[in-house]
Amino acid sequence: MNVIEATDLTKTYKGVPAVDGLTVTIKSDAITGIIGRNGAGKTTLLKMLVGFIKETSGEMNVFSEHPFNSLHVSANSIFIDDHMLFPDALTLGELLKEGERFYTNWDMTFAKTLFDYFSFHPDQHHNQLSKGKKTTFNMIFGLATRSELTIFDEPTTGMDAAVRNDFYRVLLKDYLAHPRTILISSHHLDEFDHLLEDVLLMDEGQQVLHMPMDDLKEYAVSLTGPDAVVGQWLYDKTVLAKKQSAPGMMQAVVKQDFAIEQAERLGMKATPVAASDVCIYLTAKTKGGIDDVL
Amino acid sequence: MVEMEGSKPIYIQIAEWLENQMLSGYFQPHDKVHSQYTLADLFNINPATAAKGLNMLHDEHILYNKRGLGKFVTGDAVAIIRKKRKNDTLKRMLRDVVTEATHLQMDDAELMEMLRDAIHERGEDQA
Repeated sequence: MNVIEATDLTKTYKGVPAVDGLTVTIKSDAITGIIGRNGAGKTTLLKMLVGFIKETSGEMNVFSEHPFNSLHVSANSIFIDDHMLFPDALTLGELLKEGERFYTNWDMTFAKTLFDYFSFHPDQHHNQLSKGKKTTFNMIFGLATRSELTIFDEPTTGMDAAVRNDFYRVLLKDYLAHPRTILISSHHLDEFDHLLEDVLLMDEGQQVLHMPMDDLKEYAVSLTGPDAVVGQWLYDKTVLAKKQSAPGMMQAVVKQDFAIEQAERLGMKATPVAASDVCIYLTAKTKGGIDDVL
Repeated sequence: MVEMEGSKPIYIQIAEWLENQMLSGYFQPHDKVHSQYTLADLFNINPATAAKGLNMLHDEHILYNKRGLGKFVTGDAVAIIRKKRKNDTLKRMLRDVVTEATHLQMDDAELMEMLRDAIHERGEDQA
């Protein structure tokens, strides 16, 4: 089943498209990574999904409803980022109580356990927290809602390395215990690629690819060998990048649609390409390598 | 949590880890193996990736399904794993050894001698 279905979805700001004719469906009860460079349209897409902003054109359904002005979507989804607004008058302890009052699936035991683990004090105020502590509190609040659709936009901004690792671990354990649809947008795919079931890679408001994480990890392979051997091999292949790795030696990143043994037998060395690197190659702004322009 | 090695796909590492548990006798024929959720927690990975590893072993007849109960070790699991590792893994490793020996311009006798030494050393370790 699909929680999210969008067809030809477009959002323009003063005539400039942020999301540009995107057609996508997101599987329910999976963790999907929304990956892309700055300005790819990730945040705009996510904010439309939870009804924060209205699309310019196209169609979109979340839980089979149009999300903008939908109480059903609001009550069953949460959007977590570092700009989350909480009333300054309330203490952190009071915020958790309000969360419990608003969200029907709220888990107070879970919230309090993490609240103590990350050394928060119930009398603190949200606007007095450091940037890292704010995002940590937002993460606890967001997960505690147990929303059917849980969206994290750049969730680890400002967190130190230890808290980041804790965050990803908490997220996975909570998902295993309470499977639900989770979207995470980030630039740092390599940091949490092990958590993802699917990846949606965006560029210039459009979908570049949408596939299972395990497939993306085997999407491309890096081949290194003598110029002549690699050059001839590349003739009928899809080349993502290539460069001179040493005098007379060429390294090429190619789409893996052939048996690697074949390349190895010709004397090329094959090494895997990390999913995060595949995303970088696929959204690189200059076509071909630097060697093609110099 | 179990540590992962870098370059191999995670689902293959999961499958190999389970195979090793069977080779060592930790899992016996007709034992139930870990579920995709237990594996996901243990290896800190998405359960879909764990399921891919389990399904791979199922396709190779190393595991069988009991509907609603999970995956179990087949009677020939160990024999299938040994055959597969010999034909694929060990052959590939030997090819790498031969390639490296060629780079180093070693002759066959010298390579065979090294191999015999390695076997000899293992004998001493076990004694």
